[in-house]
Amino acid sequence: MLEAAIEVPRGDVTVAAAFSAGHDETVALLGPNGAGKTTIVEAIAGLVPTASGTIVLDDEPIHDLPPERRPIGIAFQDGVLFPHLSVLENVAFPVRARGARPRAARAHALELLGRLAPGIDPGAKPGTLSGGARQRVALARALAGTPRVLILDEPLSAVDVSARAELRALLRRTLGSFDGPRLLVTHDPVEAMTLADRVVVLEGGRITQTGTPEEIRDAPRTRYAADLVGMNLFVGRLMPLEAGVGVLEAADGVVTVPWPEGVAVEPIDDVLATLAPADVALHAARPEGSARNVIQGVVEEVAILGDRARVRLSGSPRLVAEITTGSVARMAIRTGGAVWASFKAVEIHLMVERGPTDTL
Amino acid sequence: MALASFGAASVLLPVVALFVRAPWSRLGGALSGVGASTALRLSIEVSLAATAISVVVGVPLAWVLARGEFPGRNLLRAVVVLPIVLPPVVGGVGLLVALGRSGVVGRWLHDALGLQLTFTTAGAVVATTFVSMPLVVLATEAGLRGLDRRHERAAAAMGGSPWYVFRRVTLPMVAPQLAAGAVLTWARALGEFGATITFAGNLAGRTQTMPLAIYQARQVDPGGAIVLSLILVLVSVSVLVALGGRLTGPR
Repeated sequence: MLEAAIEVPRGDVTVAAAFSAGHDETVALLGPNGAGKTTIVEAIAGLVPTASGTIVLDDEPIHDLPPERRPIGIAFQDGVLFPHLSVLENVAFPVRARGARPRAARAHALELLGRLAPGIDPGAKPGTLSGGARQRVALARALAGTPRVLILDEPLSAVDVSARAELRALLRRTLGSFDGPRLLVTHDPVEAMTLADRVVVLEGGRITQTGTPEEIRDAPRTRYAADLVGMNLFVGRLMPLEAGVGVLEAADGVVTVPWPEGVAVEPIDDVLATLAPADVALHAARPEGSARNVIQGVVEEVAILGDRARVRLSGSPRLVAEITTGSVARMAIRTGGAVWASFKAVEIHLMVERGPTDTL
Repeated sequence: MALASFGAASVLLPVVALFVRAPWSRLGGALSGVGASTALRLSIEVSLAATAISVVVGVPLAWVLARGEFPGRNLLRAVVVLPIVLPPVVGGVGLLVALGRSGVVGRWLHDALGLQLTFTTAGAVVATTFVSMPLVVLATEAGLRGLDRRHERAAAAMGGSPWYVFRRVTLPMVAPQLAAGAVLTWARALGEFGATITFAGNLAGRTQTMPLAIYQARQVDPGGAIVLSLILVLVSVSVLVALGGRLTGPR
């Protein structure tokens, strides 16, 4: 269990945050650029001084320890690998820095590289690697010192789209099997929603909301959270339906989607799709019209945010719609009531991360 | 282009003139007559010793200048750079009144420890170090300032103690600048004249390095002076060519 309650000066503003991460929990720090996410994890690692506060790991305060004595492994944004050292020496660095013999450290590093970065030459210099390869090496280096807390800072931001799906899967496995609290810093809501058990939303140096991805999607507390986090997210197998159209078979329902451009027409696994709640229309009766997706559901919750209301529907699939408070009143939408939802296939944003299939 | 040619010519002309006027017919005699081998060996020993001391003392100094946060840092940097600006003979005079037998510190060194620097090879090393050290300090400081600090912070987060981080990350990352500065320091040390002759004197075999030997030879045997000069040119050029391409050229 990691518990942090800290204030960190950064320029003119002070970043203040209090949150915790359980032993087997992945917590995402999600926020726009400049929100203070990296500042917070660097303070936890002891790399920037805190103005005040406590950082406690398993009931043991670590905020007075110098960085090299905190049991934390970080994969930095862009890797920050040592340019003068080989891939192998980079991964062996945390082991050797803690006093292990070079030979034992290299053996441990080779084992980690074989698991996390197979196919990367251990003798190569980091400057010759692709973004994805660098991130794999950074991940191996973060784990090499057998830390008790794992921190990943924007692990996918420097990785090109074609390598993302594979790396995302590796991150999910690595986070899932890590024995201790894990923090994931990201500005990408999809990354936070798919990799984290709990999300801490940061804006302007303050925590604006904490909750499970579902809780934040259903009832975002700020405009940022509503616009970016509060997306309907579908994950599943994409099947061709007709020319230019496919169906995404998510766990809790099926949605009709446009077939992504330049992608071979064949079933594709693990496709992510997002749908903005504002693009979901609600109707009191079954709607006529051109929308490909029409779903009947029961209102589970109505959350008011300013002059907008987010309506959570049970149904197949589950949906969140964002409508004006005026519409809520006009349609007499209330918890437990039946309602029809519709949205056009073209409003669904697909993320096929594999890219066009290679022709062999 | 014309200006570049003129620039190159102004450097080349004296070197070419040395070759033209060298007493090639009596080369052997001129060499042995002016004690070339003794002076050359002393020059190389003194310049290497001065370079080694400059690196050992200069790197921590560069670190303090680049990373230290204290009042008077800019003043300290000005003092460190001073020997570059000062005429070396002024440095020699300064060293004399500081470390000479009756100098401020030299008197104490002599009376308490029996140490005398003037008219000794050690004195020549001190004078040469004084003049040439700023070059390695400035080059290393520039290297440290240009360093991406994220690597050192990453190394600390990976469990590296401050000394371990310095040894395995900081120092290797500024190695190119440090090496270039060391080569410049050595080159400056090899040519040192004013401070050495003022502070350490001009004793053959003890403080008479090549520049001093050339100066002396010129008064009795101009041909010998030319031969000695050519040797110094040859040594300097071959070292700079061997190292310079890698250290100062594009990487």
